[in-house]
Amino acid sequence: MTTGSGGRTVPRERERPGLTPEESALVVRIGVFVKMRWLAIAGVLIASLIATQAFHIQFSLVPIYIICAVMTVYNFLFLYQARHLNVEASDSLPETLAVPLRHLLIIPRATSPLLARARATGNVHIIVDLAALTVLLHYTGGIENPFIFYFVFHVILAGILLHYRVAYLVATWAILTVLLLIGLEYYEVIPHVHLEGFAAAGLYQQGSYILSVLLALSTCLYASAYMVTSISGELRKRQREVVALQQKGLTEKTRELEEASEELTTLEEGRQHLLRFLAIASHDLKAPLSAVQSYIQLMLGGFSGELTDKQRQMLERSSIRITEQLELISDLLDISRIEGGQIVKEMEEMSLSQVVGDSVENVRAMATDKSIKLGTRMPASLPKLKASGVRLKQAITNLLVNAIKFTPENGEVLLRITEQSGDIYTEVLDTGVGIGAEDLPKIFDDFYRGSDREKAGSGLGLSIVKRVVEAHGGKIWAESPNPEDKKGRGSKFTFLLPKNLVIAGKKQGRKARLKSQET
Amino acid sequence: MAYKILLVDDDPDIRDVVTMLLESKGYETVTACDGIECLAALRAEEPDLMIIDLLMPKMDGFAVLKELEDGRWSKYRNIPILILSSVREEASRRRYELETALEFNVDDYVEKPINPEVLLERVERLVNKNKKA
Repeated sequence: MTTGSGGRTVPRERERPGLTPEESALVVRIGVFVKMRWLAIAGVLIASLIATQAFHIQFSLVPIYIICAVMTVYNFLFLYQARHLNVEASDSLPETLAVPLRHLLIIPRATSPLLARARATGNVHIIVDLAALTVLLHYTGGIENPFIFYFVFHVILAGILLHYRVAYLVATWAILTVLLLIGLEYYEVIPHVHLEGFAAAGLYQQGSYILSVLLALSTCLYASAYMVTSISGELRKRQREVVALQQKGLTEKTRELEEASEELTTLEEGRQHLLRFLAIASHDLKAPLSAVQSYIQLMLGGFSGELTDKQRQMLERSSIRITEQLELISDLLDISRIEGGQIVKEMEEMSLSQVVGDSVENVRAMATDKSIKLGTRMPASLPKLKASGVRLKQAITNLLVNAIKFTPENGEVLLRITEQSGDIYTEVLDTGVGIGAEDLPKIFDDFYRGSDREKAGSGLGLSIVKRVVEAHGGKIWAESPNPEDKKGRGSKFTFLLPKNLVIAGKKQGRKARLKSQET
Repeated sequence: MAYKILLVDDDPDIRDVVTMLLESKGYETVTACDGIECLAALRAEEPDLMIIDLLMPKMDGFAVLKELEDGRWSKYRNIPILILSSVREEASRRRYELETALEFNVDDYVEKPINPEVLLERVERLVNKNKKA
């Protein structure tokens, strides 16, 4: 009666979110069984009609119609129940009934309420179907009817849906039911319906026939139970392994993510700690020197009475040493801040021409003191950048100070900005003493002061410039002698800021349009 | 009448230097060690100029500036403020604007160490400007 090959996957309409593969497979299968029962009902009706009409086998169709009607009704109920499997909260009747069965067969508890409910539902399906098939058999010739072997489908169904012990129980139950039916008919406790024109009249009381059918049926049912349960057991095991693996993978990934985010937090905390520490260190290191320097300036300014030349000279030297020390502290703290990533926070829309102008102003007095010609050349319009204005000013100023420091009186220092295929090039050229070939590769190193140690300075100036440029994703290099100096003197420093810092579409400079027309 | 200048700095040596400088030019000086004293002195003395350090214990210069933005202090709003700090001006400006979302609205900013000529010149400019206004 129930035809078919079991739990083939049907269209995925019945897959619900949030179900384990095992649960959803079971839900899908219960749906499949409901569909197959419709086919079975149709099959019974068609087979009966063919038997009576085409082969003129004589038997009453009325009981068959009644049984089909009953099956239709309970199949509708099953259909309804299959659609609401995971809706009900409380234990349904089939589940309550399934408990003693579970205890009897020592079946482990289902891993989820939905599984328990689906299995209990399966029990009910099988019991009702078994009963229906038995009654149907009774009205269609009993042992004369070869469809008696259709009990195998119940065993298959149980083997797929339920615990493997249930499959054997169903096989046993089917055999007992058949035995009871045949026995009652054999001893004529209940009337035998003879299929006239199909089987011999006394067949239902022929011992050898009955025994052979029973033997074939029993072996068939038990063998099916064995085959189906071993296959579906294996499948279920695999399914669980897959789920376990997935969950293991998921847990591991989650743990890795948690660890990574913890590390990030620790890093950020460390960074914040460093910056706080630097702010305090900066203040506490500079404050005493500032006070001393202020006193010295007060004395040098004549606010505490006249000074002798000797005193003045000594105070001036002290003042220079303190200034150097303050600069060294500033440089060290700047490096720590840049390394600590503060530069990223300082990046904002800024005007490069303003930075250039400020830097030149910073060193103008120094250049004038040495009668150095300080020139600036840059396009009338420069794009706006997303960069740290403070740090770029520091970088350009450092380069200019360096150039002025190493250029003799009456020399020239030129600051030139150009735009080449979007990148911004900043060049500082001088006509000074230049850099020895052995020094050139090391000038950007920390505390490197070249062979000419007479010049004041911490040796950190250029390494700060390099850090600033690189923090912006740029590059810096130096050439000596200055390739543009006709007498082969001096040096040339170039750094480029990549075009990705440029804020698109924002040009500045009042005469921009005018200039571009001229050129 | 001599101009009265309120000087706020936690470093006694800086107070000493600045006081000496200002008094040499005939200014009257009132000193405070932190922001709390500064606000009290502001009420009590009504100075013509305030010279305020930024990094101080208890209540720092940033907090004083923020407090003065409050309506309660509107009476003292036209008293010019000169910041005297070892922190670079850009850094202070950035910090204040980031922390308070207010404009860093001071009349002048002088970085330490103190250059006597520069400080005196700026002070003079501020008190005279205020007088005209």
